[in-house]
Amino acid sequence: MPPSRRARHWSTAYTFVLPVLALTVLFSIMPLVLVIQRSLYRGNVFGTNLSFAGLGNYVDVFRTGGGHALVVTAVYTAGFVVVCMLLGFGIALLLDVRLPGLRQVRAFFVIPLVVPSVATAFIWFTFFQPGTGLFNRALNSAGLPQVSLSNPTDAVIAVIAFGAWQYFGEVVLIYLAALKSLPRDVLEAASVDGAGAWQRLRHIRFPLLRDQTALIMVIATLYGLQTFTQIYILTDGGPQGATQTALYYVYQQGFGLGAGGSTGLADAMSVILFLISLAVAIIQITLVSRAARTGAA
Amino acid sequence: MIGMRLPAKTAIYLLVGVSVLLVAFPLLWMVAAALKTQSQIINPNASLLPLPPRWGNIATAWDVAPFGTFFLNTAIFSVVTTVGQIATGMLAGYAFAMFDFPAKRVLFYLVMSGLMIPFTVVIVPVVQLLADFGWVDTWQGLLVPNIASALGCFLFRQYFLSAPLELGEAARIDGASEWRIFWSVYRPLAQPMTAAFTVIAFLQNWNNFLFPLVVTSSEHLMMISQGLTIFQGQITGTAYNLLMAGSLIAVVPVLIVAMIAQRKVVEGLTIGALR
Repeated sequence: MPPSRRARHWSTAYTFVLPVLALTVLFSIMPLVLVIQRSLYRGNVFGTNLSFAGLGNYVDVFRTGGGHALVVTAVYTAGFVVVCMLLGFGIALLLDVRLPGLRQVRAFFVIPLVVPSVATAFIWFTFFQPGTGLFNRALNSAGLPQVSLSNPTDAVIAVIAFGAWQYFGEVVLIYLAALKSLPRDVLEAASVDGAGAWQRLRHIRFPLLRDQTALIMVIATLYGLQTFTQIYILTDGGPQGATQTALYYVYQQGFGLGAGGSTGLADAMSVILFLISLAVAIIQITLVSRAARTGAA
Repeated sequence: MIGMRLPAKTAIYLLVGVSVLLVAFPLLWMVAAALKTQSQIINPNASLLPLPPRWGNIATAWDVAPFGTFFLNTAIFSVVTTVGQIATGMLAGYAFAMFDFPAKRVLFYLVMSGLMIPFTVVIVPVVQLLADFGWVDTWQGLLVPNIASALGCFLFRQYFLSAPLELGEAARIDGASEWRIFWSVYRPLAQPMTAAFTVIAFLQNWNNFLFPLVVTSSEHLMMISQGLTIFQGQITGTAYNLLMAGSLIAVVPVLIVAMIAQRKVVEGLTIGALR
């Protein structure tokens, strides 16, 4: 008898699947249904006195700074992704060079990813202290104006810089794995044929990495949309909402404003955030299956 | 790169050095600031180096907030949730890979939809659900929602799909029960995946900030990340040497573990992201 997937032991199979299934339904799927349903109702933070509001909450989201929060999310995520990708790709190319010692350095870039982000957020918070923070001391000695977290533009740049510092190591790791999987013989053949380092990068490595680059961009985007700790510690969404992302809007309406918040608004913004993440995730799945088909993943 | 010229080599090492510094400078700043006096911090012209180092700052910070409790809570939370995520993920992944049963595809996609629903999107109803259970600000409330991982289920399924079926068949002919086959034959086989997943899950659970923040409010349940924010509230003034000493306390244990297990950390972070 040839080996086959077992058909007999249904009860074993269901028992094995049950824990993950039940918890996923209870703590992900059901709450999502609830969020969508309740985004159509108006009520207080305790979820009582509900009345049907149709799309009223969605309209109110845009009346209470939600539109601005979505713009902030787009600006933050775009800045975060671009900085992470450029740093990550550049450093991965450096570490991919076969020179003694470079393999050992790789582990260094995971440090910002693994240490508690609240602690590193406090470090970045002190960088911007007026007069005494690292950045302001450096700017001062260069004769340049000071930066401050209470300036809207500086605050946005600060959360992007900190977010990227914290995450770019992940991009380095993924690109390194992708670079290692490139066919060495092709690169060496090009080298023998007289292609310089820049030509090999431009005409061979870059095209071969196109799928992975798109995939990393998607992963970084999903991560960027989830940014919370960085903003909570550095700016608390301020000054004047300059760093209030969609997620931070949800947090403030749902938890941060106490009785002044509105679950209806939090729910409506959660649904918007979900639709954005879903669109990005669908792009991801398309990319993964395309990469699998072409054998590049 | 055979026959690379010396200037090129020097340039690469130099650039790598700059990149390393890019990662390291906040941590170096933290250590320096943690060991300074108040007046060294406030004076913008004082040296960047903490001379002489005030090691007492770390002891002072330790006494301001119950860091011992925070560490213990973080350890309990991380160990329980990580073990739970491995157990539930491995069992479900194994079943999805090795068995055929009615509604298998539907159930699999149901679990996978958990990957598509970020926790941040469902945070408000999850907390209200926990409130309905009376679980807000309790250990159950902290642990139960975090002991299943759709990602773990997916990774283990992928792993078991490529495992040889013959091993199980042989054990079955010898009369082994399905549980025995799982536990003694296939679970040990998945050791590399278990190790990599343990690392990413543990680090993620250790650093989880948002979930405990919205579920707990009592200090005796707080973990290190949330505890640090309490600590910040209790120290005052513009001199941030104590704030950095507290951050140092939070960073060093993770740093040591990550450096010891660096190979597994790199591996885990690579597969975790590519899923």
